[in-house]
Amino acid sequence: MNNNSKTGIIIAGLIIGVIASLLVLFGNPANMGFCIACFIRDTAGALGLHQAPPVQYIRPEIIGIILGSFGVALATGEFSPKGGSAPLTRFAIGFCVMVGCLMFLGCPFRMIIRLGGGDLNALLGLAGFALGILCGVFFLNQGYSLKRTYRLAATEGVILPAVAAALFALLLLAPAFIHFTEPDGGPGAKHAAIFISLIAGAVVGILAQRTRLCMAGGLRDVVLFKDFRLISGFAAIFVACLVMNLILTAATAGTYFHMGFAGQAIAHTDGLWNLLGMFTVGFGAILLGGCPLRQLVLAGEGNTDSAMAVLGLLVGAAFCHNFGLASSGEGPTANGKIAVVICIAVLAVIASVNTFGKKE
Amino acid sequence: MNCVITFFNHFGAVRYKNEAGRFGWNVQLSPVPRSLSSSCGTCVFCDTGNDDPLGFITDEMEQVALPDGGGYRIIWRAEDS
Repeated sequence: MNNNSKTGIIIAGLIIGVIASLLVLFGNPANMGFCIACFIRDTAGALGLHQAPPVQYIRPEIIGIILGSFGVALATGEFSPKGGSAPLTRFAIGFCVMVGCLMFLGCPFRMIIRLGGGDLNALLGLAGFALGILCGVFFLNQGYSLKRTYRLAATEGVILPAVAAALFALLLLAPAFIHFTEPDGGPGAKHAAIFISLIAGAVVGILAQRTRLCMAGGLRDVVLFKDFRLISGFAAIFVACLVMNLILTAATAGTYFHMGFAGQAIAHTDGLWNLLGMFTVGFGAILLGGCPLRQLVLAGEGNTDSAMAVLGLLVGAAFCHNFGLASSGEGPTANGKIAVVICIAVLAVIASVNTFGKKE
Repeated sequence: MNCVITFFNHFGAVRYKNEAGRFGWNVQLSPVPRSLSSSCGTCVFCDTGNDDPLGFITDEMEQVALPDGGGYRIIWRAEDS
């Protein structure tokens, strides 16, 4: 694959979109073939970091993305352990991004998947995501920077992939201290077979590493450079999901495409908070330099700053469920609304301090 | 001389573009070419005329590369990067 070409990223996006739809056929929750935020949240629950029984499962897709990226980066000489660029700030941004994701009920990747399933609530999410990216780009152009990274020892870059491998062992061994949602107990009980999920995640990790697929980067490059390469991958995922969902709806007994606002799977209809949730995600993703999927891929390449962002996502997910911040199909919670407003304020402070507070 | 310069952050590229203008160099901001790096940040494509691009190095620069066949050859890299 010519990884500079738009064709390459479009093919990758189509493959990823097909995989996302097939994962639902194989058992994942509806409109959730992939969701980085939800799957990290489920993993946090499995580890006992939160006590929400419906969403507890070590998701092999997350493990696969990290290990896929790690493997292909090693094979191509692009494994590059580095870090030191404001790690705790990145942790905090990752936390805020997760709060936004769980307000909307999905990461940018799932937002596209939801659109491909006909969920029009995701249009509000997309609008918020784009506004958040514009906000982030404003700060980028004013001088926002978390300062440079430095080369690190190889062991630093291997830690997160090793943790991912250990999580996979825990999933297979299923010891008593790992929590799993009871059958029919909620989204955590809905999953494809372990090795199907792992392979699907690995394929996505490999393709995303080779093409640099990033939901936030796509819109950012359009705004900054009028460059449509990354966003074409974004569009390809949508098209593949849409077509696959229509085919699956026609060919199976299930409903994979249902256009409208009401009655969507694992989604709510509160437009304002869908918008503000994804605004938080878009803003945070630009401050981090990539969406949650991109953070996983970069962490697999050995970037410990991105690993810190992933840890922020994990802890953020635990907080969201321990303190009633996460939305449900019934809608957002009062705590969640307060948390999103606080997170937007925190992101604005981080952006301002690292833009206007560092001018030489 | 045509070269590609990558940076540790987006604004480093913006600042470089503004400052390199005083040498009369032709500088364009762009996404980093995939064949140069797996980073998805901002780079500059720079035509320095007869000047040596290594004559102007900033703290925010990560690497300088020259087009080489279908890819790039790195001629300078920041310490510890």
